[in-house]
Amino acid sequence: MSIERFLDNSISSWMAGDGEHSDIVMSTRIRLARNLNGYRFPLAFTEDEAHKIDQSVSATLLDANEDLQMNFSSIQIKDLSELSRQVLVEKHLISPKLANSPMTGSSLISDDEAVSVMVNEEDHIRIQCLFPGLQIQEAYMQADAIDRVLEKELSYAFDEQFGYLTSCPTNTGTGLRASVMMHLPALTITKQMNRIITIISRLGMVVRGIYGEGSEALGNVYQVSNQTTLGKSEEDIIADLQSITEQIIQKEREARDALLKHSANTLEDRLYRSLGTLSYARIMTTEEAAKCLSDVRLGIDMGLIEDVDVTILNECMVFMQPGFLQQYAGTTLNTSERDLFRAKLLRERLQKGEKMKTKGENSYDV
Amino acid sequence: MICENCKQRPAKVTVTQVHNGEHFERHYCEVCANSLHPFYVEYKQDPLSLHQLLSNWFNHTDQQPMQQVQKKPPLECEACGWSIQRFLDEGKFGCASCYNSFRGQLPTVFKRLHNGNVAHVGKAPGAFGEKLALKKRIETIRLQMKEAIETEQFEQAATLRDEARELEDKLATGGEETHVD
Repeated sequence: MSIERFLDNSISSWMAGDGEHSDIVMSTRIRLARNLNGYRFPLAFTEDEAHKIDQSVSATLLDANEDLQMNFSSIQIKDLSELSRQVLVEKHLISPKLANSPMTGSSLISDDEAVSVMVNEEDHIRIQCLFPGLQIQEAYMQADAIDRVLEKELSYAFDEQFGYLTSCPTNTGTGLRASVMMHLPALTITKQMNRIITIISRLGMVVRGIYGEGSEALGNVYQVSNQTTLGKSEEDIIADLQSITEQIIQKEREARDALLKHSANTLEDRLYRSLGTLSYARIMTTEEAAKCLSDVRLGIDMGLIEDVDVTILNECMVFMQPGFLQQYAGTTLNTSERDLFRAKLLRERLQKGEKMKTKGENSYDV
Repeated sequence: MICENCKQRPAKVTVTQVHNGEHFERHYCEVCANSLHPFYVEYKQDPLSLHQLLSNWFNHTDQQPMQQVQKKPPLECEACGWSIQRFLDEGKFGCASCYNSFRGQLPTVFKRLHNGNVAHVGKAPGAFGEKLALKKRIETIRLQMKEAIETEQFEQAATLRDEARELEDKLATGGEETHVD
């Protein structure tokens, strides 16, 4: 299987826009961190160790394609250009850490891009499942199935007291990080997010803006995940995240209703202005694009904007990132060139989306 | 002066915070100042990194009484040569054996990181899973045995004791087998 497929297509299955509560929860991610006995952790290992680990993990997974009913493609990070790596990072298929690693490492990606197993990231093995909408249990079951296949063939580093041993003490225990990516514009507009972040952090969970720690939430997208991995079972971690997510969804819905009730005109004006900006602007920074896309998405979810397809927005969120833009342009671009090209692509995509939709409805029966 | 956040670019922006009447000055590069500032003031009051946190906790325990001094942990992991100092500096382990080498120190670390928890609960790989289940079963039997003795049901206590012994034997042989592996 060739890598081009993963690079050229900005849509992954997790962006499909379906799944439960998909108007608020964009995606669910499960990550399991595992290490093998007998090798140092990637932070300390030699190239020779890296190579051996990579071979045995990759071989085990590729052999299990049939059992798992999955078709993994193995991608050697070393073989990729810098730009290709960035594109995979922007699609959340590999992490920046793996992309920049000088040692042998790889990513095994399933056909639908829902599963990617990173080899020699911070830990020897990182199993990652990315599902659309709110599907914590489903995503965990998928990750668990892969984990079981690996543990049968490979000897995991495990300690009776500390559980699965990981390079970073924040992952020790279950090695499980469960997270949901939520679009929370109404809670942000009504300035309730800081309060919610404080409450959640007391419950062993963390809330972050989508692009890393400490950053302001780009496009009102927040990631909620478990902080505790030790002393709490997988089931409890999942149940707690599920319950917190449901409560936040409820609060977001209430905030949306309140906005509609108290300031419908202002809201509608703001959302349509953003649609206008996306449709006509000539220069677009990442921040502005994210803000506008968030507004339009809210408009669609609330039934205020009708003729834009939500999958287009999910796709736009991905391809407006620097790496993807350059992949599309087929050349490197500096910041201001990117802003021009981003505006152009967004314009085209939104128009094309609208047209395709009317076409499909009126004349084509595909 | 370099940026306190990224520690790469030169610091160009000074952010002054007032907290409980005290003034704090922080120095950032333009990039970090832009990205940190909006959120920063409101909920992240100290840009402590994980390794700084770890070092700070250990400094605290150092001030505590003698016990700590007597149970001095090995300073280096036998398997990978990673020192406890390096663990504190980087906030990461060098290999799985580090957990064993620094075992005595770890509960302090984990307590802070994981809401007071120091031991794993949950899934275990195949062989370990059975062993753990066996251990738990023995523990339960022992508790039942204690209760039986307290209520003077000695016959039942004896049965429970035998049951526990049997399981312990099983555990011991099972343990040997995994060593051979």
